[in-house]
Amino acid sequence: MSFYIHKTTCISPQQTFGDNIDIEQLRPSVDNKLYAVEPAYPQFKGNALRRMSKSTRIGSGAALPLLAGAPQPDGIIIGTQVSGMEENSKFLNQIIEYNEDMLTPGSFVQGTPNTISSQIALISNNKNYNITHVHRGLAFENAVIDVAMLVNESPQNTYLLGGVDEISLNNYTLDTLAGWFKKEDCSNNNLYSSATDGSLSGEGAAMFIVSGDKQGALAQLKAITTIHSTDAEVVENRIKTFLQNNLPEGEKIDLLLSGENGDRRSTHFYKNCEALQGSYTTIARFKHLCGEYPTASSFALWLACNFIGGALELPHHMLKKAGTAIGLKNILIYNTHKIGQHSCMLLSVVS
Amino acid sequence: MGVISAIGLSVAENHAALVTGKTGIIKGGGNFPSRYAGLLPFGEVLIGTEELKTRLGVTESGITRTTLLALHAFKEAIGDAQLTDEQLTAGDTALIGATTVGGMCLTDELYANTHGDTENIEYVKSFDYASVNLYLQKRYHITGVVNTMNTACSSSANAIMYGCRLIKNGLANRVIVGGADSLAKFTVNGFNALRILSDEACAPFDQNRKGLNLGEGAAFLVLEKEADVKGKKMYACLSGYGNANDAYHPSSLSPEGDGPYLAMKNALSNAKLNPADIDFINAHGTGTENNDEVESRAMLSLFGTLPNFASTKGFTGHTLGAASAIEAVYSILNIDKQELYPNLNFGQPIADTGLEPVITYKASAIKHVMSNSFGFGGNCTSLIFSKA
Repeated sequence: MSFYIHKTTCISPQQTFGDNIDIEQLRPSVDNKLYAVEPAYPQFKGNALRRMSKSTRIGSGAALPLLAGAPQPDGIIIGTQVSGMEENSKFLNQIIEYNEDMLTPGSFVQGTPNTISSQIALISNNKNYNITHVHRGLAFENAVIDVAMLVNESPQNTYLLGGVDEISLNNYTLDTLAGWFKKEDCSNNNLYSSATDGSLSGEGAAMFIVSGDKQGALAQLKAITTIHSTDAEVVENRIKTFLQNNLPEGEKIDLLLSGENGDRRSTHFYKNCEALQGSYTTIARFKHLCGEYPTASSFALWLACNFIGGALELPHHMLKKAGTAIGLKNILIYNTHKIGQHSCMLLSVVS
Repeated sequence: MGVISAIGLSVAENHAALVTGKTGIIKGGGNFPSRYAGLLPFGEVLIGTEELKTRLGVTESGITRTTLLALHAFKEAIGDAQLTDEQLTAGDTALIGATTVGGMCLTDELYANTHGDTENIEYVKSFDYASVNLYLQKRYHITGVVNTMNTACSSSANAIMYGCRLIKNGLANRVIVGGADSLAKFTVNGFNALRILSDEACAPFDQNRKGLNLGEGAAFLVLEKEADVKGKKMYACLSGYGNANDAYHPSSLSPEGDGPYLAMKNALSNAKLNPADIDFINAHGTGTENNDEVESRAMLSLFGTLPNFASTKGFTGHTLGAASAIEAVYSILNIDKQELYPNLNFGQPIADTGLEPVITYKASAIKHVMSNSFGFGGNCTSLIFSKA
């Protein structure tokens, strides 16, 4: 099952949104975090903007330009782990600090993760299929699977697909306690030479207009798979099978976008995936641009669409190993989140 | 099927309570810490969290009450469906669950961790929604598609729909679908701040209804292709589903109920049925001013003359992310047992719409049941179950 990607936008810690997209110039992390560069949001009025959680802002902010002047999509499909966590934690804090009394519901309502998909629906008056997948490191992947099924069911339809997560004080603190973010200072331009546990915290929103129509498409999402395992051999075999089943005869992966994140506990998964490719494949990394977050693979998919469509060139700071590949026909995105959740996405040129 | 709720720890216990009209909504069950625990009525599962751990043989740290409720229902469902270990671990078996509370039932613990407590970190890995299904996936070594959905109160209807579509699209041959939510300070205070918690047992579709009661529980269902279940008990067929957004307001439904109307209409067209084919509607019927009136209006627009309908929220309370899965089990019982269960606490129809739900237990010929779920963010989903 596959679909075609027609348009894409991204609000990320790098200059990826609006007219002056520039990923050559790497924006630095601050205190081990990569915060999204937020635009001015001309679509939202003062109060509405103030009430929105950051994930709703960046999510709908990235989505609305894709919807402007186009027919309404037949569905809005969002993947996010805990969007609205900052609002949620405001509410949790109120509960404790005011001893469950005299609370206002604003943060409770804004803190539910389906706020992004429903806010986009509300603003654009879209009454079609509307869904939010929250399966942590595979939240975006499940959104992709959902869209692949929708396109298979109704090839003539168009869908809005997105991956969104935010850095909140709450999830940053909890994930740091759980060992997922680095305890010592680390900058994103040194991320891959770090030999400790944990990564840098990131956030972002990537949005895609997809359909079954290849006419005018940027790229084809040819296949996706998800793997739940901490066993390196199991993961490696599954990646191998994925490539065997989905790469056309005689073709190879031209570019591997690896989710390597500077956490020494997950490096071997990425090395195994690289080793499967051989000297032909160029290997590039993206987590120093966007940081680690559960739906970071959506940022990689935005990059891949831009590379394969020729809108952007692979910047030198992303390059891990130059392969002998000359063209760019097939891109493999391999990502693992918190070690146990893995995914492969194969993006190909429109044939 | 497997279910745990305020009216019972199994499908059989839930069924017995539905038949006898015995509610699970009480004040002061005492299993969750909140100042409202003894003040307002709730649909509590009357087993303590530690007791649940013991019964289920859960010894790992960091397992929340939401996960324990899910595990309880999951075990009953896979046992009932006679799934083997090979089937559970096969690549064509999917697990799709839903929750709106997940690990956030641990309000106090998480507050402590985000305010300087770096010692007691048992729950920091399970604060999110996915933690529930990740535990089930690990415990049962599930390798197929695994997902968690959160569209507020329609979450588990969407999990059921997604699971069914995985089978139809060839991405799975059997799916275990459902939802779980535990009572938590978080949701109790959220709904209380919205002023939609009733201080009495909820009275869905009654003119003088005062709001909803929150409940807790979980339910899972095993869906398989008809060709694969020869010789096994077949309760019903999931014959249709519809998902639509109301696109009106973050926490209330539009006056005309566009979202609910479209969800029901889409479900009918997906099932290739006409309104007149539906024998019974398991309504969302939360007992709030807004929901019951809007749902009534949307049902009237679509059906003209309504079939029998009722809400089971008066038995269980509103179990949020578990509600649609629990009510899927009840809808399937309607079909399997050919009977209807009463809408509790109903006295007087809503003046504007004049609809009267089923108020007594009765035997009835049931072929098609529609089950409605509407959530915050305008996320509306309807499912249709049919006699197999």
